[in-house]
Amino acid sequence: VINPLVYFALFLKASLFSTGGLSNLPSLHQDLIGLGWAADRDFGEAVAIGQISPGPNGLWVVSLGYLTYGYAGAALALLAVLVPPLLVLAVAAAFARIARHRWVDGLMRGISLAVVGVMGSVCWTILRQPGADWKGLLFAGGAFALAASRRVSPIGILALAALIGLAVYRR
Amino acid sequence: VNRAADRPTTLALLRIWVQIGLQSFGGGASTQLLIRREFVDRRAWLSADQFGMLWNLCLFTPGINLVALTVLIGRQLGGIRGIAASLAGLLLPSAAVTCLLAAAYKAVQHSAAVHAALQGVIPATAGIMAMVAVAFTQPLARRAHAEGTRAVVLSAAVALGSAAALIVAGLPVALVLGMAAILGAGAFTAWRRPAAEYP
Repeated sequence: VINPLVYFALFLKASLFSTGGLSNLPSLHQDLIGLGWAADRDFGEAVAIGQISPGPNGLWVVSLGYLTYGYAGAALALLAVLVPPLLVLAVAAAFARIARHRWVDGLMRGISLAVVGVMGSVCWTILRQPGADWKGLLFAGGAFALAASRRVSPIGILALAALIGLAVYRR
Repeated sequence: VNRAADRPTTLALLRIWVQIGLQSFGGGASTQLLIRREFVDRRAWLSADQFGMLWNLCLFTPGINLVALTVLIGRQLGGIRGIAASLAGLLLPSAAVTCLLAAAYKAVQHSAAVHAALQGVIPATAGIMAMVAVAFTQPLARRAHAEGTRAVVLSAAVALGSAAALIVAGLPVALVLGMAAILGAGAFTAWRRPAAEYP
């Protein structure tokens, strides 16, 4: 039987020691599987749902909560991922204290450039997922062009990709 | 610098974030794109530089970076109430849709049609992410271009080097960000300029 307090604490711990995205997965996987509160299958499904559902990818834990413990699990998971990012207020306050040093501008600039690299690597990872083929590059290129036009919303782009995906890949 | 007269009411802020929360199918890439379109491009409440700066702070915060970004934008535009409205607006509807999708997924997970559609959707999210990366690149590229060849080469080296460190060497993201921060502070700081303006 799932203990809601322990369940919440495990999700909170995983989120507190993660840095966005899926980095809280290993901790949750270890803990929930260990207790028998989740199956391996739940994780794969939750990640897949998190990738297409609205909001940050990190909301994949909400689907994990739903799949393992129903609406209560989803609510507890949402609460657990809501708390740690509030620490950004402390980060911003700390930054304000060092902001006047002359090296801070260069430091932030280095980070901003690395962010571009990180995003590039995320694109790469998505395009290299198992089951992806060269046609995926065309989907990505088309989506990029539509996003760059600023005329189509992401949901419109993805709906179009789904329809073309149906036509191209359906066996 | 945001124009105080244009500051949204709490209710308006809530409405904007609900729209983002409901439309951002495709996960983080779509969410990023919509947040930028709304607050930077459409309403100009934040500049591209400010947006990049806020995002950098979020990278040093535990948990979901986009939630931290929501907190910072909410605070800047509406204080504590702005934070609450922004978080509720982004997360409640999108979490509800996520639950519905999880329930629906159970029913259709073996359908060939769903797999085929997803095979189109998932690379499309990579394309959207690429657009987000370009938007982050623009202010950096403009600045480097204005400063000259050295800055352009350095900037390209840090960005491409970071991607290579992640893809080829498989280094952790935090380590790559830390190295880029040190490199940036070393290479972009005008160490020899007189320090008069820095007390």
